Amino acid sequence: MESSEFEDALDEWFIESLTAYKDLHVYQLEHPTQVIEWTSGKTVCVAGYGSSKNQLLELRLPLKLFAEENKGLCAERDFKLLHGGFSEGPVGCLRHVPASRLIVTNDGQGTDLQVWDLGGDDSDVIRRTGTVKGRESAPQRGSRIAASPSSSPQVLHGAESSSVQLTHLTSGQSLYKLETDTSDPLNSLQFTSDAVFLAGCSNGRIYMADTRVSAAPQMSPPPASSGQSAVWWTDATADPQQASCRVVRLSSSGHAVVSDLRKLGEAVCQAQLDIHCSSDNVTVSWAPRRNYISVSGFSGVVEIYDTCDWRMELRRVRPLFQHRGHEVSCRQADGCDPVCITAHVWHPERPQTLLSTATDGSVHVWDWVEPDSKGPESKSEPSL
Amino acid sequence: MPEIKVTPLGAGQDVGRSCILVSIGGKNIMLDCGMHMGYNDDRRFPDFSYVTQNGRLTDFLDCVIISHFHLDHCGALPYMSEMVGYDGPIYMTHPTKAICPILLEDFRKITVDKKGETNFFTSQMIKDCMKKVVPLNLHQTVQVDDELEIKAYYAGHVLGAAMVYIKVGSESVVYTGDYNMTPDRHLGAAWIDKCRPDILISESTYATTIRDSKRCRERDFLKKVHESIERGGKVLIPVFALGRAQELCILLETFWERMNLKAPIYFSTGMTEKANHYYKLFITWTNQKIRKTFVQRNMFEFKHIKAFDRSYADNPGPMVVFATPGMLHAGQSLQIFKKWAGNEKNMVIMPGYCVQGTIGHKILNGQRKLEMEGRATLDVKLQVEYMSFSAHADAKGIMQLIRMAEPRNMLLVHGEAAKMEFLKGKIEQEFSIDCYMPANGETVTVKTNPSVPVDMSVNLLKREMALGGPLPDPKKPRSMHGTLIMKESSLKLVSSEQALKELGLNEHQLRFTCRVPLQDPHSDSETLHRIYTHLKSLLKGYTIQHLPDGTVMVESIVVKVSSSAEDANAKILLLSWSYQDEDLGSFLSSVLKKGLPKM
Repeated sequence: MESSEFEDALDEWFIESLTAYKDLHVYQLEHPTQVIEWTSGKTVCVAGYGSSKNQLLELRLPLKLFAEENKGLCAERDFKLLHGGFSEGPVGCLRHVPASRLIVTNDGQGTDLQVWDLGGDDSDVIRRTGTVKGRESAPQRGSRIAASPSSSPQVLHGAESSSVQLTHLTSGQSLYKLETDTSDPLNSLQFTSDAVFLAGCSNGRIYMADTRVSAAPQMSPPPASSGQSAVWWTDATADPQQASCRVVRLSSSGHAVVSDLRKLGEAVCQAQLDIHCSSDNVTVSWAPRRNYISVSGFSGVVEIYDTCDWRMELRRVRPLFQHRGHEVSCRQADGCDPVCITAHVWHPERPQTLLSTATDGSVHVWDWVEPDSKGPESKSEPSL
Repeated sequence: MPEIKVTPLGAGQDVGRSCILVSIGGKNIMLDCGMHMGYNDDRRFPDFSYVTQNGRLTDFLDCVIISHFHLDHCGALPYMSEMVGYDGPIYMTHPTKAICPILLEDFRKITVDKKGETNFFTSQMIKDCMKKVVPLNLHQTVQVDDELEIKAYYAGHVLGAAMVYIKVGSESVVYTGDYNMTPDRHLGAAWIDKCRPDILISESTYATTIRDSKRCRERDFLKKVHESIERGGKVLIPVFALGRAQELCILLETFWERMNLKAPIYFSTGMTEKANHYYKLFITWTNQKIRKTFVQRNMFEFKHIKAFDRSYADNPGPMVVFATPGMLHAGQSLQIFKKWAGNEKNMVIMPGYCVQGTIGHKILNGQRKLEMEGRATLDVKLQVEYMSFSAHADAKGIMQLIRMAEPRNMLLVHGEAAKMEFLKGKIEQEFSIDCYMPANGETVTVKTNPSVPVDMSVNLLKREMALGGPLPDPKKPRSMHGTLIMKESSLKLVSSEQALKELGLNEHQLRFTCRVPLQDPHSDSETLHRIYTHLKSLLKGYTIQHLPDGTVMVESIVVKVSSSAEDANAKILLLSWSYQDEDLGSFLSSVLKKGLPKM
């Protein structure tokens, strides 16, 4: 692409963004990150995944985003680097321990976890405070981590369904172990309440268990799908206002299934998303308190779908909104790989605000505008 | 030990004023002389008592260097030169020299005329101060005196902003002033060569931020303008004549063209001529794009932007107006503001910092009722937007600059040390250099390791080469013996003999003798032969000779045997060696003191 053509394409998207977004902030990190984790309503942690030394950063979002009255008088548009630290290896997974200044990381290769103290006002250095040992001896991949919502610092972690355990951070004691018959590699670990959690396996199985009881977990098989060797990702809502918890499962062939947590075997609705390639860094996420699902990791675009449009019959659907900022900013003329989204998160309180990061080190903070009600074109097509 | 001292002037943790003292190679240099914009009393001036407790600064400073025209870098210059007293040279780039006095005069007017302050410099002082200025060109080495030289580099940031390279002998310092590492629509990015200064001094105000992209700031600007125009409102943009105004005009022109908008855009009279004049003069300071544009057409010949007439302010319907001055403190922008402030559909966009006391400053602090001349109050109903377009280097930018210049040490000013430990660690890790962060008023002493180039005589060089070994390699130091002769400003390394010859001195020879008693029943010559055999077996690889004159020579050490008259068995071994053979001589004497092996 000619330099001026590239500039025009960029300008075009920026012109469109005037109406498509309320707020938009674009940043460039020195090194790309695969993780974004909220450490408070205004701060996030990111970390590099290069092969040797990497940086962990705690960043405060721009003040202008949060200014309500007198927003015009606030000119602060930058990320503030609050705390930083160094990790000996890559960071594949990062979780914040609620009501503390601790974070837990995993390098995406082994099962041991590193524990860090983010620090307070007196210093800006993130310090390593300990290690948590994992169960597997020869893992194929890194561990998933979920921080327990309970008041004492505990983390649930493991790379496979047979080796998930709950460890108390201060004592190092193992409080609970998940016992399953088979050893399925995990794509997610998530608490749906204080003690109930879901282990989402990459083969589409979901195990649901309660850390307070030693009973065998409930297992839900993968949804019936045409792609036999598909990889699945899972997310559950954590919405206290919803009557029940909903779970979405997305396959690498684009098949998305929504179920009620109490009846995982049944689909409430489903849809066929337009996905073409496989990826390692897929994120599928419910919007807090809404029926929207966001998907990223297959390209340089973050897509938002409205599940209210989804039916029991499998139909192709189109996204309600697409954030193309990362894709548009990537210089394809340089011969580098097209950019791919590595992670995205919704803001826990602000309903329209998301953060997304990509392989080129870009971080976007965007406040999207709901598109106008459907016009003549419908957002879904006839059943498949 | 050679060292460089750096002291940022100021007190406590206050940021917002730059004035740094550097002592290098016996020279004292003041970098920037800024005013603190937050204070109304003498605290706004730097504390010059660090230079000298009483009186004028001329004898204590070799030069003053100003990086760019922002008031927090040059605002206290007339106070320093005319009220405290300094008559030496003040260095700054040509654009800075042209623009500084305008800003200083504006600033003086606001402070004295509007706020009625008394301890402040006068218009004449500004003029007298500027007479001491020596202008700099980019990349041109200027000799301040025999030993001190300086060179300016492009810093981006604003028109005429420079980073300065300062060298005394083989020690050097680079001061960045304010700079940015990403080019924008009208200025390029900072650039410096691998000059490897002993210290790189940089501001760290933005060191702990990650800057939002230029495009997003521009987007916000366009969005706000568009929203106002769409609802039929009028948009006022108070600007200083140069820099930002051009950039925003180009932005709006492109946007208007793209969106096919019809609302008129104006720039106020007076802006065009001044801006054109300055841009023509300083065309080398802008980036490629502007240069091309300028060559093709007049800076202000836009399709959608026209010259303003004061009567247009009363026209109905939407419009955008760029007007001076930038802080709404007087002139046309204030006039327009007064007319438009009462309508909530209208908007004022402040694209930069406003000095205390100006209307701009008041409305940016949320004031909605303003007291005007003649006790009239003005209700501010229009929308007020504060947008920061200033280009600064953030954490990433600082790392980029260090990579470019390759300094031996890093020094960050105007940051809180506790909040920058991570950055310090990053710099130390990635570049293996020390990073200093002095508090205001604190002096940092950085030890330097200057290399002193010296001429070497051919004889000495040949002798060293004859000793064998690898060719001279700057990365592998070798020690050698010689005599250093310093004549005027030349340094020459010669062999000792040559030095003695040049100085007309005789060489002294030092010879050691040692007497070792030995019991041996043989004759003197037999004993000598025994010694010869013993040493020959012991000291393989050394030249050992048994000479016909009755001595044994080990290299150049002489060994003789004599016996006492009373007792033929009581031998005395006489060893004699010159200073150069001290090591071997001592070794021989200790060997022989142990006696000879039994036959």
